[in-house]
Order: sequence, then C-alpha cells, then structure tokens
Amino acid sequence: MNSFDRSLDKIDIMKLLIFLMVFIIVTFAFIFLLIIPNVKEHRILQAEYKRVLVHKTRVENLFLERETELSKLKAENAHVISAFKHPFTQEEFIRYTGKFFSQVSLTEITKSEYKKEFVEYELNVTSMLKTPTNFYNFLEGLNRYSSIVQADFPIHLESSKESISSTFKIKVYDLNATKTH
Amino acid sequence: MRLSFIAPRRKPFLSLFSKMWVIFIGLMSLFMIIFNFYIVIEMSSFKSGVVDLTKEREMLEVKIDEDDETIGIILRQKALSEEIFSNNTLLKESMKNLFDLVPDQITLKKVQMERNSLILYGVAPTQDTFNFLLAAPLKSIFHTSNTTFYLTKEGWYNFVSINKIIGEDGLIE
Repeated sequence: MNSFDRSLDKIDIMKLLIFLMVFIIVTFAFIFLLIIPNVKEHRILQAEYKRVLVHKTRVENLFLERETELSKLKAENAHVISAFKHPFTQEEFIRYTGKFFSQVSLTEITKSEYKKEFVEYELNVTSMLKTPTNFYNFLEGLNRYSSIVQADFPIHLESSKESISSTFKIKVYDLNATKTH
Repeated sequence: MRLSFIAPRRKPFLSLFSKMWVIFIGLMSLFMIIFNFYIVIEMSSFKSGVVDLTKEREMLEVKIDEDDETIGIILRQKALSEEIFSNNTLLKESMKNLFDLVPDQITLKKVQMERNSLILYGVAPTQDTFNFLLAAPLKSIFHTSNTTFYLTKEGWYNFVSINKIIGEDGLIE
C-alpha cells in the first residue's frame, strides 16, 4: 500500500453509504434466506432427536429391567430349568432308583401334551424294596432328580418273606421339543 | 517530454477504504456460510441419529418380547415344578403317616393306595386290636371305612380294610 492513498483521510460519504447498503443487503440476504430456515429446521430435528432419544432410553431401561428379572429368575430356578431341559431316559432313572430299590422295571403308559409347552409321560414302575424307609427316601430325593418326575397313585405295596414289592406310577414332564426356545 | 518532477504512480483499482469494506463483507459472508454449514452438518447428524435410535429401540423391543416370553416359560416351569414337588412331598408324608399309624401288633401284608381310597390287607391278633388301634384313626381320615375279618389257622385275624374319601380333592392325609 503506498502512502499516497488518502481514501481513509477523506472519506467519500457516497462510497460509505453504498458499501453500508451492500453490507446490509448481503447480511440480511444470508440471514433470511439461509440461516433462519435452517435454524428452524434444526430446532425441529433437534426436538425430534431428543424425543426419540428419550423414548429409546425408556425402552432401554425397560429392557435392562427385564434382563435383571430374567437373570434373577434363571439363577433362582437353575435346577428346575435344567431339569426340564434334561431329556428323561429310562436307563438313567433305573440307575437312580437302584439306590433305593432292586429289580426296577419301567413300562411306558402314555405320552401326551400338557399345558401348552410340556410333554407328560406316564410310566409304571415295579420294584422290590427292603423297608418302607427306602420309599420315603426315594420320594425325598425325587425333587432333586435331574428330570421333573412326579410319583403318583396308584401305589401298591405287597410284602413277601424278604422284601416288599411295589408298583406305582410316575409322571415325567419334559419341554415339548417342537416348542422349545 | 517530462512535464512533472515526480514519477507517475499507478492508481490502485480499489482504494484502501474500498478494499477494507470488500474484505469485511467477504469475511462476514464466509462466517455466515461456515455457520450455515455447521447447522446443516448437525441436522444431518440428527437425522441419522434418529434413524439409528429408532432401529436400536425396535431391536430392544424385540428383545424385551423375547425376554417376556422366556420369563413366562420359566414362570410356568416354576409353577409346574412347585406343584409336582409339593405333590411328591405330600405323597411322602401320606405314606409316612400311614406307616406311623400302623401299630406294632398289626402286620400289613398289602397296601393299595389310590387317589381317593386306601385298601389295607393284614393280620391282627384280635378284632379289637384292629378296631381300637387302626380302625379309629382310619375312620377319622376317610369318609367310609369297611373292614372284613376272617380267622386264620393260628387264631389270628386276617383283615381287609377298604377306606374311601368321597369328594373332589381326595388326597390321603
């Protein structure tokens, strides 16, 4: 810039007005044509985003609640869940009852659907036992057996010289394989 | 021919005053454009955020449904197993009570337990022993109680006692 420019010493009032006009027009054009519509849209989108975020957070809290409830239930009923999943086999049951009885034999009577998602097997058990105490112990341990088994009527006990022969029904409950999750 | 003592200067196209204004207006416009650009970028991030959050929410809702179903299954399993376990315990108690009921003088030969009835076969030294020691408590448990005796060669009495509960829920207690 040379030192002979005196445009700042003697300001041309017309030029100043023209530049001021240009400045104002450009500024207003930007503000009204660009920034205000965009800011409006921005606000709407921000509100929408916040609404969606709140909704999602609520659902997430609900989900976490369900997860804790589910894991609590799973922990509390671990035995029951695994017992329902455990497939019932006659060999395993005979091995288990061998602790209490001798000469155990099983005959399957029926197999039917039970309450939506379960399968109910009915089996007849015939066995020999030394004392009735064995029968109590068997019933006592049945609740901790690896499958869900219910001992049921009719129960027939007949004493012979050495031991007692017993016949009773058991009902075994498994998860219905077609509806497992 | 030189008519002036000083060398001619080039006159600038824009004076300093005009340049300052042009730069000022230019900077202002640049600022506005940058600000607008920032808003536009943020808007697009909101838009994609809304889409992402909606997807995530829908995924969570599906998971909640799955959890609800699993919870339902576990609760049904729990209810069924509790019913079965209590039935087993009840059965055990019933049997224990029955054998506790039988006094030492009386020997049971055969027991037939049904849901609503109990049939006992056994030997008693006298009819009175049976009637006092076993028939009385049986009568208090069952609605009907019939006993038939027949004498054995040894002079003891074989008995058949048929006991029944009349009603809907007839577990032997």
